[in-house]
Amino acid sequence: MLLASCKPSLPQQAEEAERMAQVMPNNDGATLPPNIAPLNFEIQEDGDAFVTRLSSRSGEELVVGGRTIDIPLADWQRLLSAAVGDTLWTDVYVRKGNRWRHFNRIANPVVADSIDPFITYRLIRPSYVMYEELSLVERCTENFDERILYNNMAMSKGDKGQCINCHVPQQQGQRGRSQFHVRQAFGGTVFVDGKEAHKVNLKTDSTLSAGVYPAWHPTLNLIAYSVNETGQSFHTLDPQKIEVIDYASDLILYDAERNEVTSIERTASDFESFPTWSPDGRTLYYISAHHELQGESIDADLDQNYQSLHYNIYARDFDATKRKFGTRRLVFDAEALGKSASTPRVSPDGRWLLFSLADYGQFHIWHRSADLCAIPLQHPENIEQLKQLNSSESDSYHSWSSNGRWILFSSRRMDGNYTRLYLSYFDTSGNAHRPLLLPQRSPVFYDQFFRSFNAAEWMTQSFGPDRNTLDACIRRDAQQAKYAGSALLVPEASETAPDTKITKQNYHNIYESN
Amino acid sequence: MMLKRLPYTLLFILITMWVMMGQLRPFLLETAQLTPFLTTQVFAQEMMAQHTGGWLLYVASFLQSCLACPWLGASLLVLLLLGIAHATRWVLHLPDSCFGLCFVVPFLLLVRYTRMGYEIYVNKEVAVAFALPLFVLLILVALGLISVVVRAFMKRKQTSRCMTKGFRLTLFILSSIVFVGSAYWFWTQTYRDSNFLASLQMKQACEKDDWERVLQIARENDKEPTRLQVCLTRLALYETGEMGNLLFAYPDGAAAYNTPEQNQWLRLMGAQLLYEHYGKTGFAYRWAMEDMVEYGERPMYLRTLYRVALLNGEKALSEKYRQALNHTLFFKEDAVDMERQSAAVKPLLNYTDQLDGDNGLIEFYLLQSFALTEGGSRQMVELSLMCSLITKHLDGFWQRFMALLPGWNGHIPTHYQEAALMVAQLQGGMDIDQLPIDPPVRQRFERLVEASARMGDSSNNAYALHSEFGNTYWYYYFFVEGLKTT
Repeated sequence: MLLASCKPSLPQQAEEAERMAQVMPNNDGATLPPNIAPLNFEIQEDGDAFVTRLSSRSGEELVVGGRTIDIPLADWQRLLSAAVGDTLWTDVYVRKGNRWRHFNRIANPVVADSIDPFITYRLIRPSYVMYEELSLVERCTENFDERILYNNMAMSKGDKGQCINCHVPQQQGQRGRSQFHVRQAFGGTVFVDGKEAHKVNLKTDSTLSAGVYPAWHPTLNLIAYSVNETGQSFHTLDPQKIEVIDYASDLILYDAERNEVTSIERTASDFESFPTWSPDGRTLYYISAHHELQGESIDADLDQNYQSLHYNIYARDFDATKRKFGTRRLVFDAEALGKSASTPRVSPDGRWLLFSLADYGQFHIWHRSADLCAIPLQHPENIEQLKQLNSSESDSYHSWSSNGRWILFSSRRMDGNYTRLYLSYFDTSGNAHRPLLLPQRSPVFYDQFFRSFNAAEWMTQSFGPDRNTLDACIRRDAQQAKYAGSALLVPEASETAPDTKITKQNYHNIYESN
Repeated sequence: MMLKRLPYTLLFILITMWVMMGQLRPFLLETAQLTPFLTTQVFAQEMMAQHTGGWLLYVASFLQSCLACPWLGASLLVLLLLGIAHATRWVLHLPDSCFGLCFVVPFLLLVRYTRMGYEIYVNKEVAVAFALPLFVLLILVALGLISVVVRAFMKRKQTSRCMTKGFRLTLFILSSIVFVGSAYWFWTQTYRDSNFLASLQMKQACEKDDWERVLQIARENDKEPTRLQVCLTRLALYETGEMGNLLFAYPDGAAAYNTPEQNQWLRLMGAQLLYEHYGKTGFAYRWAMEDMVEYGERPMYLRTLYRVALLNGEKALSEKYRQALNHTLFFKEDAVDMERQSAAVKPLLNYTDQLDGDNGLIEFYLLQSFALTEGGSRQMVELSLMCSLITKHLDGFWQRFMALLPGWNGHIPTHYQEAALMVAQLQGGMDIDQLPIDPPVRQRFERLVEASARMGDSSNNAYALHSEFGNTYWYYYFFVEGLKTT
C-alpha cells in the first residue's frame, strides 16, 4: 500500500506547453545504442511537482517522479531493449500550483548496433603549460563504472612531476594491446600486452622527439608515430586562447618485436603528423603541411604565420613483408578549400576517412571552426559535412567503434572550453546521426566538473594490467629503441636531417620524453 | 575547577584574536580566497576520492572558507584550538595547575598557519589552517573516549593524586612560563611583514574596485614598496584617471619580497588582476587556469575566469563559473553588477589579437606591450603614452600626445606637461609655446635646467635634486636608472 501510494502517476489532465522542457543534459533526437548507460537528466523548469514517463511503442514504460530522473539500470535496459529499431519517448509533466503542463515529447531512435563496452580517456584541466593531476581512466559505457588506470601523482610530484597522454589501443583493444606515454619523470612509452606492460624510450639521436601521436598497425606489432617539436603560444584576446604549433614534425615506425625505429617522413619543410592505418594495414594515412621558413627562426615565423599552416591528408602504401613504405600521395587537399585537416581515422570497413577540418593548424581542440568531416575513400572528392554531428564550437578528436557504426568524439559545445565526449551513430549510408552526450550518473555532473575528457578511444575489452604492474613497469628504466634508418622502399631525395632552429625563450617541447 | 582554567582560556582567545583580527585580517581574507570549497556533489566526491580522510578535509575546507568573514573564521579556528587544549588536559588527566601546558600544541598549530606569509599562494596542502587542528582534536577525543571505555571496563577507581600546595604552585608557575613562552613564540613567528600585508590590502581593495583605498595604502606605507605594490598603485592611478598627474609622485621602488623565490609573487598575486584590468584578457584567463591546475578551484581563480569569460562574450562558460562561485560560501557573484564592472575594461579591448607570451614577467610585458601599441581607444593611447614614458622610449611621444591633446580640454595632466617640455628640449621639433603648459610647471622646468647646468646631470646630483623634483617625470627620466620590472 505504501509503495503503491508513493509510486508517481501521470496527471489526469495536462495542458500542452507547446515547447520542449528545459532538461540537463538535453539529448533530444540523439540516436541511442541498445547498451548505453541510463540517460539520467534533470528537469530545469519552475514547478512544484514533476512526473516523467519513458516509453516505447512496444508498451514498455517507466514512470518516474521528481526533478532529477535517476533511472535504475535494469529498468533502463528493459526499456531500451523494447525500443530497439524504434523510438524511446520521454514525456515530461510539470505541475505549477494546480496546473499540470506536458512538454513536447523527447524522442530518441534506438538502433540495434551496439557500442563497445569501454572507453578510455585522460582527465585533464583545459590547461596551458602547467599540469598537475592527470589520470587515464576507463569507463564502462553500459553503466557508470569508472576505473582509474593510472594517475600521474601516484609516484612523482612537484618538480619531478609526470605527464601522461595518448592511451591508444590496437584495433579498439581487440588484441589486448595498447600504449600510452609517460613524460618527464620515469619517462617513456608504456606498451601493454594483455596483463603485462613494458616501457620503451623511443627517442633516438636521429629523430625529433620520442613518439607522440600513435597509430597501431591493425594486426602487426608495429606502431607509426609522429615525432614533434611542439610549442604553445597564447592569444592576448581571442577566446580560442591557445595555439599549439608544431615547429617541426616527422613520422616514424616503431617495430616492437625488433625494438627498432625507422623514419617514414623526415623533411624540414613538411610537417607530418597524426598517422593512422587502413583496417587492412596496407596504407598509412597522415596529415602534412608544407612551410618554407621565412626569417631566421621557425618559432617566430610560425607564431606570426600560424594561420597559414594548412594540413592536407596524404597516404603511403605499406608492404608488410618488407616493412617498407611506398611513395606519398595526396588523399585530401584541404588547402585547396582554404582549410586544414587533422586526425584522420579510417572506418573499420575501410570505406570512410573521418577527420577534423578547421581553418588552419592541426591541434583543433582549440579551434572553434573545427568540425568533423568524412570522405568516402572510393570518391575522396565527395566530402560529407556531418552537419547533424557538428556544432559551432570545436568538434575534434574521434574514434571509430569496433563495428564501425559509432563515432566517439570530443566537443566543446557545452561551454566552449571544457571538452566533453559525444557518441554519434554513423549509418551504412554514411550519415552521422544527432550525437549523445556520454551519460553520467548525476545529470549536473558536467556543469560542476572542471576537467576535460581528452583523447578518448573505444575499447572492446577492459584494460589488462593492474595498478601494481603499471607502477612497477613505469618505475623501471625504459628500454632504449634503436634507430634503423629509413622505412621507405626508395629513400627520397628530400629526406633531410631535422634542422629546426627554435629561439623562443623558455621553449620546451611539450612532447619531450626523458 | 573551570574558573582555574578560565584565565588561560581568556588569555589564549585574547592573544590569538588580537593577532589574527588586529594584524592578519587581510591574510585571513586572502586565505579564504585561496581555499577551494564548493557545495557541489562533484567537489565533495573529488575530495573524498583524491584524499585519504577526504571527509575531514572537506569539513576543514568548509571551516577555512569561513575566513572570508574574518571574525567568524578566526573564532572557529580559536574554538577549535581551545578544544584541543581542553581535550589534551582531559586525555592526559592533567591537573588545572598544568593547564598552561595544554596550549603548546594549539600555539604550534596556529603558528604553522600564521607564519606562512607569501607561501599561502603556493601551498598545496588542503585547508592548511584547519585540517591538522581538526585531525588533532579528533585524535584526542578518540584517545579520551578509549581511555574512558578502558577505565570503565577495568572498573578501576580513579585515585586522587595528592599534591602539596608548594608542588602545585611550582607546576602552575612552570606551566605559566610555558604558556607565555608559547605565546611569545607565536607572536615572533607570525609573519607580519608590512609590505606583504599592505600588498594584500591593496589587492583586496583592487578586487572591490576601491581605487582610493589602494592609493591611500600606497601613501601610508612607509617602507620601500615591492614591484607588486607599485603595479597596483599604478593600476589604481589609471582607474582613477590620475595617472597623468600623480604616477611619478607615488612611491616607486623594488623592495625584495621578504621571502625566498623573488620572481614569482607578482605573477601569483597580481597577474590575473593586472591583466584583466588592462584588457589582456587572454593572459588573465591563462594565469587563472594555470593556477587552477596547480592549486585547485580557488575562488580567486574562479572569479577571474568568470570575469574574463564574461568579457569575451562566452555566455555558457561564464555561467559555468558563476554557478561555481554561487556554490562557494562567500564569493557569490552578481551577474548584473559584474557586467557593469566589465564595462570599464572594454575600452582596452580595442586591439588586434596576437600570439604572445609573457614568460611570467608581468610588469615588463605590460609596459612593453602598451609602449609598442599604436592607436586604439583613448584609454589605450594614454596607457601607451604613459608606458613609453616609464620605459623611456620617447620616439612616439608627440604622436600619442597630440592624439590625446583635444580630450584634455585645455588642461594637460602634469606629467605629460613635464614630458612635453623635456622632449621638446631634448629632441626639438615642437613649438612648446603653442601648448597650454601651466606656468608653475614651466618655471619648475626652467629651475631644473638651470640646476642641471650648474651641477651637471650626473646621478650624483640625484639626492640634491630629489626634494624639489622627486615627484616629476624629469627626475624619473634622468635619475631613476634601470627598470625594476618583474
